[in-house]
Amino acid sequence: MKARGTLAAAVASAGILLAGWQAGTQAGGASTLASGSNTTTAGSTGSSGTGTSGAGSSGSGSSGSSGSSGSSGSSGSSGGSSSSGSSGSSGSASSGTATAGTYQGAAVQTRFGAVQVQITVASGKITDVTALHLTDDDRKSIQISNRAAPLLRTEVLAAQSADVQTISGATVTSNAYLTSLQAAIDAANL
Amino acid sequence: MPRTSDPLRLPETGTKLSARTFECMGTVVSVTFADSPAAGQETQDELAAATAVVERLFRELDETFSLYRPASEASRLARGELTLRSASPEMRARYAEAHEWRLLTAGAFSPERPDGVLDLSGLIKGHAIREAGRSLLALGRRDWCLNAGGDILVSGSPVPGSGAAWKAGIVDPADRHSLISGYALGGVGGHAALATSGSAERGEHIWRVDGGSDFAQVTVAAADVVTADILATAIVSGGMAMLNLATEQWDVAVLAVHADGSLLATPAFRRQI
Amino acid sequence: MRTQSLPAPPAHNSPVRPGPSLRSGSVTPPAQYSSGWFGRQRRQRLLRADLLTVIAWGSVAAAVALWLADGGVAGVSSVAAAFTAAGIVAGLAGMDLVLLMLLLAARIPYIDRTIGHDRALEFHRKLGKPSLYLLLAHGFLLAVGYGMAEGLDPVSESVSLWQQVPDMWLAFVSMALFIAVVVTSLVAVRRRFPYEFWYVVHLLTYAAVGTSLPHQFSVGGLFAEGTWQRWYWLAICIATGAALVYFRVLQPILATSRHQLTVSRVEVEAPGVINIFMAGRQLDRLAETGGRFFIWRFLAPGLWWHPHPFSLSAEPAVTGPDGEGTLRVTVGNLGAGSAQLVRLRKGTKVAIEGPYGLLSTAARTRKKVVMIGAGIGITPLRALLETTPFAPGDASVLLRGHTEQELYLSSEILDLCRSRGVRLFHLPGPRSRIRSSWLPQEAVRGGYGLTAFVPDVAESDVYVCGPAGWADSVISDVRQAGVPEEQIHHERFDW
Repeated sequence: MKARGTLAAAVASAGILLAGWQAGTQAGGASTLASGSNTTTAGSTGSSGTGTSGAGSSGSGSSGSSGSSGSSGSSGSSGGSSSSGSSGSSGSASSGTATAGTYQGAAVQTRFGAVQVQITVASGKITDVTALHLTDDDRKSIQISNRAAPLLRTEVLAAQSADVQTISGATVTSNAYLTSLQAAIDAANL
Repeated sequence: MPRTSDPLRLPETGTKLSARTFECMGTVVSVTFADSPAAGQETQDELAAATAVVERLFRELDETFSLYRPASEASRLARGELTLRSASPEMRARYAEAHEWRLLTAGAFSPERPDGVLDLSGLIKGHAIREAGRSLLALGRRDWCLNAGGDILVSGSPVPGSGAAWKAGIVDPADRHSLISGYALGGVGGHAALATSGSAERGEHIWRVDGGSDFAQVTVAAADVVTADILATAIVSGGMAMLNLATEQWDVAVLAVHADGSLLATPAFRRQI
Repeated sequence: MRTQSLPAPPAHNSPVRPGPSLRSGSVTPPAQYSSGWFGRQRRQRLLRADLLTVIAWGSVAAAVALWLADGGVAGVSSVAAAFTAAGIVAGLAGMDLVLLMLLLAARIPYIDRTIGHDRALEFHRKLGKPSLYLLLAHGFLLAVGYGMAEGLDPVSESVSLWQQVPDMWLAFVSMALFIAVVVTSLVAVRRRFPYEFWYVVHLLTYAAVGTSLPHQFSVGGLFAEGTWQRWYWLAICIATGAALVYFRVLQPILATSRHQLTVSRVEVEAPGVINIFMAGRQLDRLAETGGRFFIWRFLAPGLWWHPHPFSLSAEPAVTGPDGEGTLRVTVGNLGAGSAQLVRLRKGTKVAIEGPYGLLSTAARTRKKVVMIGAGIGITPLRALLETTPFAPGDASVLLRGHTEQELYLSSEILDLCRSRGVRLFHLPGPRSRIRSSWLPQEAVRGGYGLTAFVPDVAESDVYVCGPAGWADSVISDVRQAGVPEEQIHHERFDW
């Protein structure tokens, strides 16, 4: 009878761990792929498969943030999460139909609250991303200085699709360099 | 979206970037030259020589200032085997510079570790890039980009003669495989240096909630790389007060990422996105 | 050796009412107490025990799963990250074990009815060292992992964490308290420190858990605001706290104010053994607690802070419509704390908690029952004998003591056995040096063992109550006689 309890406990524990693992690999999928490919950045792109511009990147940004249990919090109000909501429609937009128009993503629950975004597509390209529901977590933005003002991630979307020749980030150690974006850029220019 | 874009090719055909890397100061230093495709073997040798100059400069500084090398002057200083008075002129000059920065930043930047050991590494990397830049210019190279662990100094343009800016990507602290933003460096009227500092270096598991300094990452663009580097570090540790101080006192552009992921940017930064 | 065998007499012929409360007539099992009823009770209890096992292990797995679900594995990309990850997992599992320990000590009735009070505390003790090791590993691995990521040695990293990260200094204080609690507990066990010392040290546990909480929610990225992990962790912490407050603070206060017990009489039962009689209200609610124990505090100067675990030694005698009446505890082995009980004044107010433990009808799995008691351990069996259901002839009682006088309450027990039809053996005399050291020398020499007294012991529930060393010897004989583990009911009585 004791064996029954032990067995049941083992099965239940294994089930719980498996569920956790599943949830983890789904949420952190993007970041796993990214760190897995250290030779080229293009590799991980293919697998994330979102295609067009900003939407894709921030989509993975959001999952990455929860995946890596993001220290610094990550993707605030609109950021990653917003675009993850829209990535579905952006995908369809880029996959050839290229219908101009405005699309609303589903409301996505992020670790910072509910976020819903609207994207505008013209001639097959995303021209605008607007957050419809920002999280109410703007406590910190209240104390905005008159010099540095809040910037929505969607505002910098255009910049992200541009090619860059170099990367700036918090100090990358030699070990981390191998999997960094800078390494991919350097490798391409060797 | 760096992953989907192909960062390897410039829109303008006809120019080729050539990058060389070496490992130093616990990170990897990349030197990227922009040159016309016609460049022959001769040019290649010149580039290799220029890189070697940069590398030697980095190594010499590392040997003097690294706390990871037991025999370095900095280590001996830290162990008390050497006093500042008897230290090398180079050491004293950097120490003086670091102290000046401590005063200028009202203590937000400090050349001392939490445990009290003198640590000039917050200054030395920027200093090394600054010196390396001077050497490259002295060697007659006009179009290049130096990147040491994310601290960047550029000269000229990736498309020589075009006046086009070097485009730097700024990493998302929540996912360092994606970018938050881009920033145009050099070119006409742009800053030449860009540095990013983060509170996430400890690993990605600390989540700050205290009101004071809750910046997960701060990027500063400035005319020189030491200023950019030190102010980025100072704002991370000094929070909003330091950010305001920096934008008042220096000609800088700042992008700060809050712990909750929201962004703050100065108007100067927005212009260069 | 004097042996009395008392075959079942005709029912309703016992005019004797020993003790304050014995009801007239015998307690033959009503129809519902068939062997099927006992079997069902046994199956349900085993099922509950399995469920508790599943919950306990599942909660540890869930703690790790929180981290997995957050994409934990994907983040392990360097040696430093591996240290950090291991540190986080150790912290999660360690805290979960601490919460389990608190729940095991919370005297939750469900746990008590399933595994009993002393086994709950045994598991509680067993978890002490693993949880400390996990928490130590948590601190160490994170100092190393973060240190590697920042290029600092673990000591400098710890200093920097202490100084720069909010709430971390509390976490360091918490760690120091945990170490203090576990180490003093281990030393206290070995040196046999008094119960009071133990009690005060354990109060520090709450300080240790309390100071560890802030950093879990403010620094731990896993529990950042807005994550479901944060809600889960908050929920289990709050639930544990609520269980402690309700069962260890609120329930005792309610029980004390409900029963309004006061000491009515103290009488000497035998040398070193006294009966304490208490008057109170709603005592009917304390009926049929059998051998289960209560924690008593006599609210007199110098005594109020000392908790005494005693069983009722007889069913409460209820005389009034609102359950007014008296109850009795029998106290022996008068230690430093209990010696003063002799001088208890009439009218002293008494605080009560309980009943706790599994030495009761709730533990029954069979129709037949055997009770083996020694010294003061006889008294709880006396109360159990009064109420636990069995048919005449289905029960045996073995009483041990050095002398005939040490067979406490023996005349009351004799009367009970007469009226209910129980085989009773008085086994006085010095203990045997060879084999079966729980039996008197005389019996062992004569070739008598357990099965000589109780041939059908293998089909019976066996209740054992007495000093620890003696009880161990009994239990080993009981096992040898082929009694399955779930039929052996034992609770330590010497703490």
